[in-house]
Amino acid sequence: MKTLKRYARLYKVFVAQFFKSLVQSKADFLIGLMGFFFTQITGIAFLYLVFEQIPVLADWSLEQLIFIYGFAQIPRGIDHLFTDNIWLVAWRLVVNGKFDRYMLRPMNLFLQVIFEKLQPDALGELLVGTILIVMSLNRGILIVDAPHILMFVVSVLAGTVIYTSIKLLFASFAFWIKISGPVLYTAYQLADFAKYPSEIYAKGMRFIITWIIPFAFVAYLPASYFLKPEVGAFATVGTECLIAAVFFIIAYGVFTLGTRVYESAGN
Amino acid sequence: MIEVNHVSKEFVSAKKYPGLKGALKGLVSREKTRKVAVDDISFQIGKGEIVGYIGSNGAGKSTTIKMMTGILVPTKGTCRVNGIEPYKNRKKNAKNIGVVFGQRTQLWWDLPLSESFTILKEIYDVSDEAYRERMEFLNRVLGLDEFFSQPVRNLSLGQRMRADLGAALLHNPPVLYLDEPTIGLDLVVKDNIRAAIREINEKYQTTVVLTTHDIEDIEELCSRILIIDQGKLIYDGSLEELKERYGTKRKVVMEVPDPVQTENMPLDEYLSVSKEDYEIWADTENSTVTVSFDKNKVQVSEVIGQMMQHTQVKDVKIYETELAEIVKAIYQHRA
Amino acid sequence: MKRKLKVYMPFLENQFKRNLAYKGSFYLFILCSLFGPFISYYLWMAIYGSATGSVLGGFTQAEMVVYVFMTYVTSSLVKIDISDEISDDVMEGTVSMTLIKPIDYRMSLISKAMGESLYRFLAPAVFVWVGMEIYKVTVLGLGITPIRNLLLYIVSMIMSFFIFTLFEFCFGMVAFVTTYMFGMNMAKEAILGFLSGQLIPVSFFPEAAQQILEFLPFSSMIYAPVMVYLGKYSGMELAFVLGRQLVWIVVLYGLGSFLWGRITRRLIVLGG
Repeated sequence: MKTLKRYARLYKVFVAQFFKSLVQSKADFLIGLMGFFFTQITGIAFLYLVFEQIPVLADWSLEQLIFIYGFAQIPRGIDHLFTDNIWLVAWRLVVNGKFDRYMLRPMNLFLQVIFEKLQPDALGELLVGTILIVMSLNRGILIVDAPHILMFVVSVLAGTVIYTSIKLLFASFAFWIKISGPVLYTAYQLADFAKYPSEIYAKGMRFIITWIIPFAFVAYLPASYFLKPEVGAFATVGTECLIAAVFFIIAYGVFTLGTRVYESAGN
Repeated sequence: MIEVNHVSKEFVSAKKYPGLKGALKGLVSREKTRKVAVDDISFQIGKGEIVGYIGSNGAGKSTTIKMMTGILVPTKGTCRVNGIEPYKNRKKNAKNIGVVFGQRTQLWWDLPLSESFTILKEIYDVSDEAYRERMEFLNRVLGLDEFFSQPVRNLSLGQRMRADLGAALLHNPPVLYLDEPTIGLDLVVKDNIRAAIREINEKYQTTVVLTTHDIEDIEELCSRILIIDQGKLIYDGSLEELKERYGTKRKVVMEVPDPVQTENMPLDEYLSVSKEDYEIWADTENSTVTVSFDKNKVQVSEVIGQMMQHTQVKDVKIYETELAEIVKAIYQHRA
Repeated sequence: MKRKLKVYMPFLENQFKRNLAYKGSFYLFILCSLFGPFISYYLWMAIYGSATGSVLGGFTQAEMVVYVFMTYVTSSLVKIDISDEISDDVMEGTVSMTLIKPIDYRMSLISKAMGESLYRFLAPAVFVWVGMEIYKVTVLGLGITPIRNLLLYIVSMIMSFFIFTLFEFCFGMVAFVTTYMFGMNMAKEAILGFLSGQLIPVSFFPEAAQQILEFLPFSSMIYAPVMVYLGKYSGMELAFVLGRQLVWIVVLYGLGSFLWGRITRRLIVLGG
């Protein structure tokens, strides 16, 4: 309990610092926001153009696809906001030996890494995600009742954990191969597959994004629970939670193992 | 306080080939190279000691320090700091140690120094009272208040080093590791840093392990030195002993009216030793002769006495071998 | 002329070698860059599967497959971000250094881009292209691409390369105004991907939007060469499309010179 309080106090210092720097660099913040905003908007515009030509896509309507698209952005954005520093482990901190300084402090290594940075760009993703979900609510295509609202929160949290775990797992490879940025980048890019229903992909691809790098569980599978009354919570959000737990344990284990073989720099 | 027992560290890396062809070859090759950075080293350091740890670049100094701090796990052997094996009990060990890497700051680059200290206070769980007391002390010996509100990236190298030293000491660690703490600093700042280290050591009985390329650091701070070369510990003892063992050469420079004639005097007969036991050479420009010899074979007083009997000596200077030369000689003596 | 160009050869060569030096990332970035076209491929398959007619936006399903992969081949050959390089140079303050050297900054950047393009031709553009051609003939039942189309494509693609790099040079000037190129780049990437035809053929846009795009350089970057490859243009239309590419090269070259002149004047006055 005492440790928990200490960590909370510490995080408060970093968050306060984050807001200070946000105010100082408003221009950068707006540019970053704009960058992510445009990326998402063009994705949506693409769907609109396609649906000019067809009524439904593999049994999904335009409205439903837009919800899936938006719903996928929320855990991605939350993860992006809070754990962006993991990228630096993959690209730089291990190879240049700057990871040393975490090793020198009496604190959990993973928390040290993620505490150090909040990424304001993520608000662009969260903004687009929220707008699309609100639009979907207005259109009345979502099932809204107490269990679904509860499951929505649970699913967003589990999805965030999946994102974080995938990042942590592939970033940890840096402890063995020095720079794991390209590997992490590759894995992270697979998330793009999850923006669309997985049934459009070939079997092998579907297997990869469901079980190996489980991005399908972040968006498309749980999203169907909110769209279709016949879909149960356990098969979707339940499985998502299970996957999140298993993946986090694996990723955290590999990370811990990695810190033991860490070689620092200058040899 | 610190016990290092038969510690070795090996690094394995993929082999690289030169040139464009090499780059293509590297794509498919799986060959590995092995490098022993630290080779079976043992030593013990007691509480309150200041130990200088020296060696040429790449000798294994930093690797040893990193094992003692818990950053690296030894390939073989064990290492205990305050009874804890650092790499097995990283967090607990971290509370007992303070570390300064001269080459790179441990502080948060973009944050004001004051924020860095606030964060460190939380990380090391320093109580408000202890924090006040420490800051008072650190301000006095390191003068942190001059730049306390500035972001770390705006500090000069000297200020940054003082800040880093202060940050390493905030939690009053019993052991302090300093890896090249005076690198690139001007003479005044060097003096300040050394004075601070001495004061901290005296006041809190802090054990200090110091690596450096600056021999003055060693001469002014360390009672004991360890020398490492190509991963092996080749000397462990006091500074005096090192000088005693390797530094028995003396040089006497005398100002005389006719240096060339003095040079040709039969000094061996006067001293009743053989010609191999000393060297003598003249410097007509400064009008001096220099006699160089091993002090165990020839007495300094005798050399001066004999010279004064046979010529007019206007001025005398006596030189001991400098530590820097000793160390250089030891590095070159390898193999 | 030959001697003059020789100065820039080391830039080209170095970029090529540097890419080879990182073996792990070598394979991975290639793999990664293929995700985009494969997502598009599956998505278009599903779209055609759900469509009532067989032709969408003027493309048959088989043509769309060719379009998707040729877009990939083309963009990997022409889309080389030299603006990143410029922003790095601005950040490190080495831009003023380039003013002292007896070489043209823009030319050195474009030479580097050529080295990169050459490297990307080998890994993996040429393989994707061959694979696509084989797939096209054996599975999709289309004829092999005529030599005439291929040659015209190469001409158009080379012009695309210059349009893109010259555009990038102009865009890179933004680095002198903002320090946060990451965000600017993302926005650029998104807009370019959308308007150049990389994400979806320009023919899918509403009439009005298509007319506006006629006056912008984006469709000349990717859409034009791929359409040339597909043999969608002939006669006057073909000449017009290629001519328009040439015009964009001239315009962007002029714009780049103008901006660079303004900025270097400011650099000299204020110091880099």
